[in-house]
Amino acid sequence: MTWELFLLFFQQSLMSGLVTGSIYALLALAMVMIFNTTDVPNFGQGEIFMVASYIALVLLVFASVPYLVMIPLTLAAVFFGGAIFQRLVLKRVALARGASVNLVIATLGLSYFLKGVMRQTGIAEVPRSFPALFPTDSVSIGMATATVQDFAILGLALAAMAAFFLFFHFTRTGRAMRAVGMNPRAAILVGVDIERMRWLVWGLSSAIAALAGILISPKLLMTADMGIVVILGFAAAIVGGFTSLPGAVVGGFVIGIVENMVGLFVSSKAIVVAPFLAIMLVLLLRPQGLLGGKATAKKV
Amino acid sequence: MNAPASLLAIENLTVRFGGLVAVDHVSFEVKPGSIHALIGPNGAGKTTVFNCISRFYQPATGALRFGEHDLLTKPRHRLAELGVARTFQNLELFGELSVFENVLIGTHSQARRTGWLDLFRAGNRPGEHRDRIEHALEQTGIADVRHVKARALDFGRQKMLELARALAVRPTLLLLDEPAAGLRNREIDALDAMLVKLCRTDGLTIVLVEHVMQLVMSISDWVTVLNFGTKIAEGTPAAVQANEQVIDAYLGREQADV
Amino acid sequence: MKRATLAVVILLALFALPMVASGYILYLANLLMVFVVLSLGLNILIGETGQFGLAHAAFYGIGIYTAVLLNNATGAPVLVTLLAGASLAALIGLVLGAISLRMRDIYLALSTFAFGEAVRWVFASWTPVTGGPNGLRINPSNLFGFKLVTDRDAYLLVLVVTLAFLLLTIQITRSRLGSAFRAVRESEIAAAAMGVNVRGVKIAAFALSAFYAGAAGGLFTTFSSFIHPESLGFMTTIMVLTMIVVGGLGSVVGAVGGALILGLFSELLRQLLSFQEIIYGAILMLCMMYAPRGLMGLLERKQAGR
Repeated sequence: MTWELFLLFFQQSLMSGLVTGSIYALLALAMVMIFNTTDVPNFGQGEIFMVASYIALVLLVFASVPYLVMIPLTLAAVFFGGAIFQRLVLKRVALARGASVNLVIATLGLSYFLKGVMRQTGIAEVPRSFPALFPTDSVSIGMATATVQDFAILGLALAAMAAFFLFFHFTRTGRAMRAVGMNPRAAILVGVDIERMRWLVWGLSSAIAALAGILISPKLLMTADMGIVVILGFAAAIVGGFTSLPGAVVGGFVIGIVENMVGLFVSSKAIVVAPFLAIMLVLLLRPQGLLGGKATAKKV
Repeated sequence: MNAPASLLAIENLTVRFGGLVAVDHVSFEVKPGSIHALIGPNGAGKTTVFNCISRFYQPATGALRFGEHDLLTKPRHRLAELGVARTFQNLELFGELSVFENVLIGTHSQARRTGWLDLFRAGNRPGEHRDRIEHALEQTGIADVRHVKARALDFGRQKMLELARALAVRPTLLLLDEPAAGLRNREIDALDAMLVKLCRTDGLTIVLVEHVMQLVMSISDWVTVLNFGTKIAEGTPAAVQANEQVIDAYLGREQADV
Repeated sequence: MKRATLAVVILLALFALPMVASGYILYLANLLMVFVVLSLGLNILIGETGQFGLAHAAFYGIGIYTAVLLNNATGAPVLVTLLAGASLAALIGLVLGAISLRMRDIYLALSTFAFGEAVRWVFASWTPVTGGPNGLRINPSNLFGFKLVTDRDAYLLVLVVTLAFLLLTIQITRSRLGSAFRAVRESEIAAAAMGVNVRGVKIAAFALSAFYAGAAGGLFTTFSSFIHPESLGFMTTIMVLTMIVVGGLGSVVGAVGGALILGLFSELLRQLLSFQEIIYGAILMLCMMYAPRGLMGLLERKQAGR
């Protein structure tokens, strides 16, 4: 490989990695939020992401709803879907037997249920493409090229993350959510309504996954199996330590850039397996994540 | 070779959690066949010492000798085999399993002694283990609930089950972490008699961490007092009760006065 | 002894089945027995030991490919190919168990899930050996010189091996090793204090569970003529997980019952992937909501209520 080519690949994977990485960061953020407040890694998130993308597609293409209406409609629908799942299913599961493994099994159930339902509707029978929300004209930065759409994705994702940061730090509800994540018992003691926080977090997290779906769908081929993308969100969350929101964001960009580098420098075939290897390696070498704190010993 | 005067010897034990020194150069010895109490205010490091002896915590420095064994060279699951059994402050029962199976697992280390094939044999068949289990159930008065799930027992019986499970290990050294905590007076009296019998009749050596002074003072042969991770006194119950420093520690008077 | 009589009647019926049943019924019976071995294996890991490993389909696949490749290349006796597949799966399970020791609960679920997907990728990409996405033809297995061509030929072998695994499972469950598995599930701390080698027991559970899955894979090759990597993905692990969840985690009878019920479902709905997904998904959610101990739990509750 020549130096020229190396530079080109390097800059290109950095550029593309930032764009896809911003989506992984959103997905990881959504995952970590739920894990912090309800102690479940949401194995159904991929399918929430998938269903949200299809809702957006149906509104946009079949119902001809304008963009600016479609986006809030989709987010609201998915928000309530997530909240209802928590209220109706998870709350009941926790009552029946509180083990976190049972909650995980329930989210696995959600994942397959949604996938089957979406297949059954027939919309997902043929692979579809999502109309681009922004122009796809190329723009060059250094040696790398990207489209206007890419910049829009990156910009909107960053704006959403900034909004969440503000929400978590400067609103009562956002602070309460963080408090529940850090120490549920203490949060209850200071008067946080933990049940309300749980369904709010599920709704919010689902809406973030929906936003990620709307943003990235124009770059993907839509099928009922497109939720597999979320595995990269999982990888990002693990890299970030699985409990840290800033860690999730950094992890998202790390995974995005590494994925693109593997694709360009190694082989496109290896991209498929890379996230799984990344998950295993990180869990193996640093179970607390690359950015997480020291693992704490269990008190006897 | 002379038999050592102590069954358990703790020398210069120091445990650190991050920057915090939880136990600071503590030494004491436990005589075989005695009941040895470890007392002190909350946070004095009693349970930490226990967790070192049973190998759940790794001390920063110090030595732990049990009989002729250097405990620090043994992994924690080998202790039962050597004859060290313990109970837990916050109850660590096998909740979904029956009382019988809880105690059966106490005999696990003896299966190792008799060879690996024994692992594949049924646990409830008649024999030496079975007798041992029945004996432990009888001693602790929970034989009538042997088929009940541990989770479903009342608190007092759960505590007895912890003890029965530890006895099934056939220990020479029994470590009891707050055995009387949460028990009613009548239950404490029964425990009192039971521990004395285990020690005097069955020849067990017992080390207990305890807050219930009534129990400590009535049955202990020797008391070691910890405060802020250091040993401040030891002696017979009467001597310790009269010790100025101990009274200060319990009444919370300033250490600087001493 | 009512129970013993029932067991004898069922056994006689099972051995007499080939005399009356059609080829399709025997195919179904073979397939259900493979599911039984699979779910018995996963039950040891998740139900008994409480280790949330999600790589079962990968071990199943390792068993299948090992048996097929050995059979196609050497024509070795079926018991050899079966044992080879199961042993290789167990060996890899042992390694996975050993490197996963530091993880628990969800981290274990994630890393074993990732391992399973990576192995599936190997099956789908290692074209010179596994045939890659085109799949691999399975030559008839060889049992003492006989060629097992039809489902009828393979039935008795599958039945005997399945029964052997069932007996082995019952023995393990009742043994001290079984008690040690459950002790680790209930409290690792107390288990260690009672002299249970927690690490060793976890690794043993992983290896044993993988051995079952590998053997199930070997059994599959005796009556099937084709293997495709598509059928060895996470969906298969989820199917087996659903079986043991429906039956009741930690119950041998439950694992067998769950495998039979859901195995029938999955075969009847084979052409309808969407229905399969909806049903598995709904069952997993509903079980966790209303019957976290599965059918066995419901039965126990009913008996206790009377």
